[in-house]
Amino acid sequence: MNLGVFINDYKGIIETVDRLKADKLGFIFIQNGVFHATLKEQGKSSPLLDKTANLYVLAEDIATRGLTEADVDKRVKVVTYADVVDLIFNDYEKLAWV
Amino acid sequence: MGTLTIGCFASLVGSKSLDFTLKLADAAADKGHKVNIWLSGNATALGKNHQKHLKDYSTGEKPVLELMKKGVEVCECEACALARGILKPDAIEGIQWNAMHWYLAKIYSSDRVLHVGGE
Repeated sequence: MNLGVFINDYKGIIETVDRLKADKLGFIFIQNGVFHATLKEQGKSSPLLDKTANLYVLAEDIATRGLTEADVDKRVKVVTYADVVDLIFNDYEKLAWV
Repeated sequence: MGTLTIGCFASLVGSKSLDFTLKLADAAADKGHKVNIWLSGNATALGKNHQKHLKDYSTGEKPVLELMKKGVEVCECEACALARGILKPDAIEGIQWNAMHWYLAKIYSSDRVLHVGGE
């Protein structure tokens, strides 16, 4: 099963995400979840970025927070709403919201 | 083309999840997909008509009308709406009112389902 996970917050979700099992796991960072893709705490990136190679962040939610693509970790692909639709229909048959 | 059903429990004001739901639905409809939106819990505030667009407040009436013009089906949880004092005569024209079985039926006939949690 391919599972796409929408992550809309920055704190308190690691334990939940750790319980998710899938053949292919993808994280789509939206809303305050975009900070996983853009912030470092004490020099370290979010541990979520080490859990899968399939990482996406919503461009509009980066811009809303005064950030730019230059602030995004190189492992994370910046996507539009239209791209998210394609991910939903082409890459992930199951979706979760955390 | 596929069918996407989104269940949303997040409120119109104070959460960006309902905004996200509407924008994702719009993008999917623009790509030719069939989209259904189930509004439950505090998300039923979206179904109230005559929303005033105040600065810095989310407003859903105009976007939801545009979505319905594109063929997106939108349905309020009737019990959730009535519990919040939103009566059927106050609903945005074109929004459906029904019980949970509407959502379940859409889920079973959809290619993809996204359940957007509330606060």
